[in-house]
Amino acid sequence: MNSADFGPNFLRFVGLAALQVLLFKQISLSVGAFFNIFAYPLFIILLPLAAPTPLAIFLGFLMGICIDLFYGTLGVHASACTFTGLFRTFLINALEPKGGYTGQELIPAPYYFDWQWFFSLSGVLMFLHCFWFFSVDAFTFVYIGGITLKTIAGWALSMLFVALIVFLFNPKR
Amino acid sequence: MNNLLQLFIRNGGFITFFVLEAISFYLIVGNNQRQGAIYAHSYGLFAGYVYRWRSNMQEYLHLRDEVEALRKENAELRTQNLNARLVTVPYRDTSYQLLYDTISRRDSLWHKFTRPAYEYVPAVVISNSIGLNNNWLMINRGSADGVVPNMGVVSKEGIVGIVRHVDREFSTVMSVLHRQTKISAILKGKGAFGSLVWDNRDPNHMTLKDIPRHIIVSDGDTVLTSGYSTMFPGGHLVGVVEGTPKPDRDNQYFYAIKVRLSQDPSLFSEGYVVCHLFQQTLDSLQQRNDEQR
Repeated sequence: MNSADFGPNFLRFVGLAALQVLLFKQISLSVGAFFNIFAYPLFIILLPLAAPTPLAIFLGFLMGICIDLFYGTLGVHASACTFTGLFRTFLINALEPKGGYTGQELIPAPYYFDWQWFFSLSGVLMFLHCFWFFSVDAFTFVYIGGITLKTIAGWALSMLFVALIVFLFNPKR
Repeated sequence: MNNLLQLFIRNGGFITFFVLEAISFYLIVGNNQRQGAIYAHSYGLFAGYVYRWRSNMQEYLHLRDEVEALRKENAELRTQNLNARLVTVPYRDTSYQLLYDTISRRDSLWHKFTRPAYEYVPAVVISNSIGLNNNWLMINRGSADGVVPNMGVVSKEGIVGIVRHVDREFSTVMSVLHRQTKISAILKGKGAFGSLVWDNRDPNHMTLKDIPRHIIVSDGDTVLTSGYSTMFPGGHLVGVVEGTPKPDRDNQYFYAIKVRLSQDPSLFSEGYVVCHLFQQTLDSLQQRNDEQR
């Protein structure tokens, strides 16, 4: 974790936030309630491996607040991103390859690991993110059926776009 | 400060998480109409629950005072009850004046007051034993509360013992499980009276002696105090007859009846000391009787 990490992450922050607000939000609005695409959690997923947990959580929170400002749902995305930031550490520890991380891998991207590893990380994180987001959005578990449906639909669509973005840009740091 | 820093490094993720989630929650509730409404509703329910719980707790904490007040009132009611019994009987009697006088006294030339023949002092048992040959209790009432030796101690379920030694604040009570215990008792509905003694090591049973063999005694008959002594008021529950009564080994003309105590001696916890107004008078009379014999 050093100052060289700032540039790429800042670009990802701005780029993903803009993509989310300008493109995906409009798609959701015009197509329907079950058609949610979340690309911005990719910013949290791709934070440097060496980033301390509190920093990752805080950056996630910042990202969430930014998205919230444009969605007009202050706090909902922030809450989900905060949770994703915390869980990212657990998952990265759980998915540690045999022999541990070498220090050569700067970010958890398919450039350093394989696609399967990246999909298990981003898939689980994205699913939890969606579930937390729709739970907080409903703010009650009375509509657990609706929450589950939205989570599954949102997760599938989001993963499609996450894979597309990572494939196109293939980030290295 | 260093420790605090260490704590943050070790649990920083969780601390940051909880702080930021709290902020998010605050923002959600404050800025989103739907979530805010749900929160307000749930908070109302929760607050109602908490307030109810708190008031229940407060009631529970005041339970001890409540119990104390109730026991005092209970003692007063018992006193009134007995007093009523003593006064109504003389009313039907022609010797009303004579009996009335027995429960009234003149404390000065001008003022005459009436006191019940029996009064109750609520007491709490502070020590107890049941496993010895002679068992003793201690209660938290003494001469300051008007307790004197030879007063009976009863509980609401049965009898406890007899006061022996009295200090200012405390008294020792000879438990019914004591070889010297001898309590006058009657069989309910039969009228026959005898003496209750404890002559074995069974802490739940006493033996009722001196009931003549021609009385028909059956399993389950109720045994009450007779009221023939100043220690216990008449008609207080003692226990029930258990099993078919056997003849007394010392005197074949009488029974030795096994009585199951209604008040389990291992569970003595609180009771009432019975104060009889004329205890001293009656005792001194009895003493004269004994001297003559």
